[in-house]
Amino acid sequence: MLKQLFLFFAFTGAAAAAQAQELYVYTEPASNMAVNSLGVRVTSKLFPMDHVDYKGYRLQPEVMFGFSKKLMLHASTYFSNMMQKQFEFEGASVYAKYRFISLDDVQSHFRMAAFVKGALINNPYMPPMRDHDHAAKPYNNEELDLDGSSSGVSGGIIATQLLHKLALSGTVAYDRYMRNTKDEMPLFFSKNALNYSLSAGYLLFPRKYKNYKQTNVNLYVEFLGKSNLDQYRRNYYVDAAPAVQLIINSNSRVDFGYRWQLYGNMDRVMDRSFLLRYEFNFYNIRKQQ
Amino acid sequence: MKTILIAIAFIGAQLTASAQYKKAALQAAGLTCAMCSNATQKALKTLPFVDKIDTDLNTTTFILHFKPNTAVNLDQIRQKVEGAGFSVATLKVTANFDQVKVENDTHIPFAGQTLHFMNVKPQVLQGEKEVTVIDKDFVTSKVYKKYSAQTKMTCYATGTMAECCQPGAKTAGKRVYHVTI
Repeated sequence: MLKQLFLFFAFTGAAAAAQAQELYVYTEPASNMAVNSLGVRVTSKLFPMDHVDYKGYRLQPEVMFGFSKKLMLHASTYFSNMMQKQFEFEGASVYAKYRFISLDDVQSHFRMAAFVKGALINNPYMPPMRDHDHAAKPYNNEELDLDGSSSGVSGGIIATQLLHKLALSGTVAYDRYMRNTKDEMPLFFSKNALNYSLSAGYLLFPRKYKNYKQTNVNLYVEFLGKSNLDQYRRNYYVDAAPAVQLIINSNSRVDFGYRWQLYGNMDRVMDRSFLLRYEFNFYNIRKQQ
Repeated sequence: MKTILIAIAFIGAQLTASAQYKKAALQAAGLTCAMCSNATQKALKTLPFVDKIDTDLNTTTFILHFKPNTAVNLDQIRQKVEGAGFSVATLKVTANFDQVKVENDTHIPFAGQTLHFMNVKPQVLQGEKEVTVIDKDFVTSKVYKKYSAQTKMTCYATGTMAECCQPGAKTAGKRVYHVTI
């Protein structure tokens, strides 16, 4: 029964791959959002933590705006119980993406974009010790990111190919981590890291479009990697991150994903996590030029 | 001087009234998703001369119905599609012609604009006819290259009138839309 069900899904998946999607859940495509459109997003991540007996939770409210057909901006804030004694505001980041190549054909395109990101984070690099916590286990983490764990800057390149049956995207980015607002970075962290990802997505439903009210179901598989670059700290990981996405009313979306480590030798606290996101888009919010 | 201006304005208005764009079939390139299509449609809706839009999501084609007696700007249509992040694959405009004689590589004043007919046999256009805009960024780059190879006229590359159109004329720099039937 399970096998039949699996085969059924595999077949529908292959047949419906006629139109591909690139609204990736864990990465950004090289395409931008429409000019003068505003997107509002709330992303939450839930993850187990080995050193304590409660789950980690991070909330990321985010706004996005299309400034021109080539330039878009994201601004995010972060809240979590991961590094603090309670659920707290952790900091903010801004992200700008500039599309510099766009080759369009009917139902296909190739795009390339460059992006920069800056984050200012108020977290300590080690979680605080709790009072009389005799069950406390060691905290081992060599992973930093700009989504709540460290201040820093990042820059990278994205290439996205939409083919009739497949949307593929790759990202390469360099991260430079800097001290957090109150805390110096411990020496065992790598200040420099390389991020790389490969993403694929396709539309499962509807098989044929009828109108904008139809709910679309998109499936994604992404591979997300990081390599720490500093001497004596060179370690890496590669995660797999499949996700399901619902597009509702052609203006909002719900993402649900699970990410876990496939390979790697980096000590990590967040080596697996659930993701749940809601996004709503407002089109043409500014009067046209 | 003022009277002349008013007279020209009146003639212009009359020309617009008799010669009209009725609707356009626009196929957008570079997208498949419903959200992308919706963003494009919403952007096209902000154009002052667009009355209503029918969409075929499967072919990413938009049928734009124009308001009567309103000047239609084809460049603005293209800009809206590009602003949404995509581009124009084809733009077929349906217009009302009244005994308009066309020949290959001729300029026809139409609805306050100039149309340059390419790849056509001499004929007289009467009634509702569909013309396809073949200017740069109104077709895919492959199609544009194909037409570029067929003409030596620099106005096709720039979209504005040049010496090639009317030697000695002072209309250089004016927008001219290249179309075919």
